[in-house]
Amino acid sequence: MASTAATRTAAAASRVVKPILSRDLDEAKRRVRELYRAWYREVPNTVAMFQLDISIRQGRNKVREMFDKNKHVTDPRVIDMLVIKGKMELQETIHVWKQKTHIMRYFHESEEPRSADFLSKFYKGHDP
Amino acid sequence: MAEYANLVRRALGQLRGHAGVKGFLLQLFRVNDVKVGSLIGVDKYGNKYYEDKKHYFFGRHRWVIYTTEMNGKNTLWEVDGSMVPAEWHRWLHCMTEDPPTTHPPEPKKFLAEVHQFNVSGSPQQYVPYPTTRKKIHEWVPPKAGAQ
Amino acid sequence: MLRLPVVSRGLFPAVVTKGGAAATNNARTAATAAAATDLIEVFVDGKPVAVEPGTTVLQACEKAGMQIPRFCYHERLSVAGNCRMCLVEIEKVPKPVAACAMPVMKGWNILTNSDKTRKAREGVMEFLLANHPLDCPICDQGGECDLQDQSMQFGSDRSRFTEGKRAVEDKNIGPLIKTIMTRCIQCTRCVRFASEIAGVEDLGTTGRGNDLQIGTYVEKMFMSELSGNVIDICPVGALTSKPYAFTARPWETRKTETIDVLDAVGSNIVVSTRGGEVMRILPRINEDINEEWISDKTRFAYDGLKRQRLTQPMVKSESGQLVPTTWEDALTRVAGALQGAEGNDVAAVVGGLVDAEALISLKDLLNRLNSENLCTEEGFPMAGAGSDLRSSYLLNTGIAGIEEADLLLLVGTNPRYEAPLVNARIRKSWLHNELQVALVGKEVDLSYTYDHLGESPKVLQDIASGNHPFCQVLAKAKHPVVVVGSSCLQREDGAAIMAAVSTIAQNARVSSGVEENWKVLNVLHRVASQVAALDLGFKPGVETLRKNPPKVLFLLGADAGCITRQDLPKDSVIIYQGHHGDAGAPVADIILPGAAYTEKCSTYVNTEGRSQQTRVAVTPPGMAREDWKIIRAISELAGVPLPYDTLDEVRHRMAEVSPNLVRYDDVEEANYFKQANELSKAVNQAVLTELLVPPHLTIKDFFMTDPISRASQTMAKCVKAVKEGAQAVDEPAIC
Repeated sequence: MASTAATRTAAAASRVVKPILSRDLDEAKRRVRELYRAWYREVPNTVAMFQLDISIRQGRNKVREMFDKNKHVTDPRVIDMLVIKGKMELQETIHVWKQKTHIMRYFHESEEPRSADFLSKFYKGHDP
Repeated sequence: MAEYANLVRRALGQLRGHAGVKGFLLQLFRVNDVKVGSLIGVDKYGNKYYEDKKHYFFGRHRWVIYTTEMNGKNTLWEVDGSMVPAEWHRWLHCMTEDPPTTHPPEPKKFLAEVHQFNVSGSPQQYVPYPTTRKKIHEWVPPKAGAQ
Repeated sequence: MLRLPVVSRGLFPAVVTKGGAAATNNARTAATAAAATDLIEVFVDGKPVAVEPGTTVLQACEKAGMQIPRFCYHERLSVAGNCRMCLVEIEKVPKPVAACAMPVMKGWNILTNSDKTRKAREGVMEFLLANHPLDCPICDQGGECDLQDQSMQFGSDRSRFTEGKRAVEDKNIGPLIKTIMTRCIQCTRCVRFASEIAGVEDLGTTGRGNDLQIGTYVEKMFMSELSGNVIDICPVGALTSKPYAFTARPWETRKTETIDVLDAVGSNIVVSTRGGEVMRILPRINEDINEEWISDKTRFAYDGLKRQRLTQPMVKSESGQLVPTTWEDALTRVAGALQGAEGNDVAAVVGGLVDAEALISLKDLLNRLNSENLCTEEGFPMAGAGSDLRSSYLLNTGIAGIEEADLLLLVGTNPRYEAPLVNARIRKSWLHNELQVALVGKEVDLSYTYDHLGESPKVLQDIASGNHPFCQVLAKAKHPVVVVGSSCLQREDGAAIMAAVSTIAQNARVSSGVEENWKVLNVLHRVASQVAALDLGFKPGVETLRKNPPKVLFLLGADAGCITRQDLPKDSVIIYQGHHGDAGAPVADIILPGAAYTEKCSTYVNTEGRSQQTRVAVTPPGMAREDWKIIRAISELAGVPLPYDTLDEVRHRMAEVSPNLVRYDDVEEANYFKQANELSKAVNQAVLTELLVPPHLTIKDFFMTDPISRASQTMAKCVKAVKEGAQAVDEPAIC
């Protein structure tokens, strides 16, 4: 009961808030598709331009993965914000404002997961 | 036609200059070069120094054919630029026109009696070590059975 | 020859104890008694401030929030008034007055920043700099020099002196203090410190005027356990630290406020570090413990932290040689040994530098393995009340409480070398509050006079039974204090001595009729970990282990050599965990490197029962780890994991066992003296005829008492200098 009331007030709230770019979810989804398409087309250029040691397929899979990560988002305002961020990333990639390492950071190659249990922290060092 | 004849003549000359096919191939595999020229001199280790100003431009007109054994080391395949002793080095690098055969170097006490190789990359090389004192001196356990 | 007659008791008793400008300096004791109605009003730059009569101009300005520049004045020393830097103008007074020595009068208007005052300061500074070398770039005091700072603030920009500067020959006063006497401005702070606080009449002045020199008259060492403090009080670079010379600058060091653990006093210190290396140790003000002094061992033993360190785990190979290994290997072996011998075949001995976190972890670990064999190296009689009542093993009166006492009975202790700052407090009280001191035990030089009652423990029983002439003195005392040294309680007849002392204390309490919260009985410990260990329920002494030798012995920082391999069965395993390769490490089969007190955030309880924290100043060297973490890791591998992973969780567990351990900087009061005394009556033990001789008799026993100071070269030099004279120690010939 309370939850439906909450969703109703949330729906009411989402109706009155000012949209960022899209008026409804369909428009937001359209923007997402456009962004995805732009990324999809850009991947071969990126791989060539940055001389990445990955195949185009791997790059496209990563793009897909990044988009899928935010699959659960349904609020058009949030989607718009994510699209804006994605466009910024895309622009930085196209203009080579990024460097190779920044692109490869999407792939988390050099990141090592931190150990959480006491014993491995103990073996690792003083105060990891 | 004439240039082909010239090419053949040069090839034959190189074969002859290196004492046949065997010597020619050996020289080719050792230093990737089969130049022939006039022998200017041989140092006491057996390195032979050649010159040919006619066919080669400046910078390639003097060369050395290394000896196969120097200072007790087999140098048949492991040739190294530092096998050239000091007196020949200056002639070979065109610092002077006079080879040490005609103008022996002035004896100096800093000149090595026996020429030494460059030891970089070998176990004898110099390794820099820190001269600052250690921040922590660790405890060294006593030798077993000392007491 | 002129020795400043500042506090020589015989000469000027009135000056020292009652009234007079000099004694008002000790406003803490003398002036606070004055009623609020007696306050007189003076003005500092027109701002009114009410002060007690007899307050000096300088103190009045301080109260009004105005700092007067000074060199010779020091609030814990008597007033000399010879530097003249504190000259201030007072309205309607014809000449500038020396603020440190002049008591204020009603209605005075002190002008601290008038033209006349500024001109006076400029003039004094010009005279001081007439003979002071301008060698600040090579001076160790540079950056923390009073003269440097004050000449920038109050001095003139040029000097009219064109003559050459006076030069004075340097003195060799031992391996700790470097003297560059040309830099001396004759403030005589060091002379006053030596004669008043340290109680050694070693330093004095010779000559007059331009030829005045500070020195030891004849070439000898400044032999005091507090000598390092003259480095701090010297306002210029005349007295600097010899081990610290030319090693670091004050602005490039990182300061960590921590506490000292080399004795049981728990002095507050600041550790200066640079690049992961301890550069020096300075005192930090704590009025309840060390005021602003620290002992020489505290100050100079820090180079022991860099030597003889255990930096990686080691195990004994088949040939009996200790070889470095990995933590995984060492801990697996320890866990295997612990699992192989459960129950009371496992025992632990803890040393004097162990923190409370490691103690609680070790106790929890062994208890989980069904062992109760946890001992401390230091003994304590368990007959009678033993360590069950907290009051029977603490310095209950507190260090600051000694200042309120009027009679002090020392039993079998030499506080001068067991706890130099407690001794400084006793001396302060003896000097300013007429404290009467008596001693049972070997006659030693305590830097103050005392009644020597005898050396035999029989004397104690006489006093306890009321058959000794001292009983009359004791009966008259209003605030009696009895301090018994922990060393004499470790004798065979410790329980009997404790019983006698307890009776004496109880009788004195009854006869003095003192209020209920005054504590009479005190135990003076020598090592930092003892109180925390007893609080956590460790058994004092290793006798039980001698009787039932364990198969697995865990030495946690135990370096006194109480228990050796000869006391154990043949195939027993000894595990040593600690930070120095001293006595414990060579006998061990497995060595686990721990952290020293500058390298861990940990809890120590001083002899008063005051828990304090050390802070991390540098990281543990090599593969060393914090002690509780090592024990926690062992527990996991041994299959009995301890339920704490972080420091906070360990402290939470400590609070469960003994809440006072985490109430930092507070003294947890202990009581039940009467009950302890009644329990001690049940002790049926005869005292031995052996004399009461404390282990530290002279200053050469003072310097090397624990693994850190035994590893220190500076301390070794001190011992050599004491034995063979200061000339025997060769110093690097720089400057």
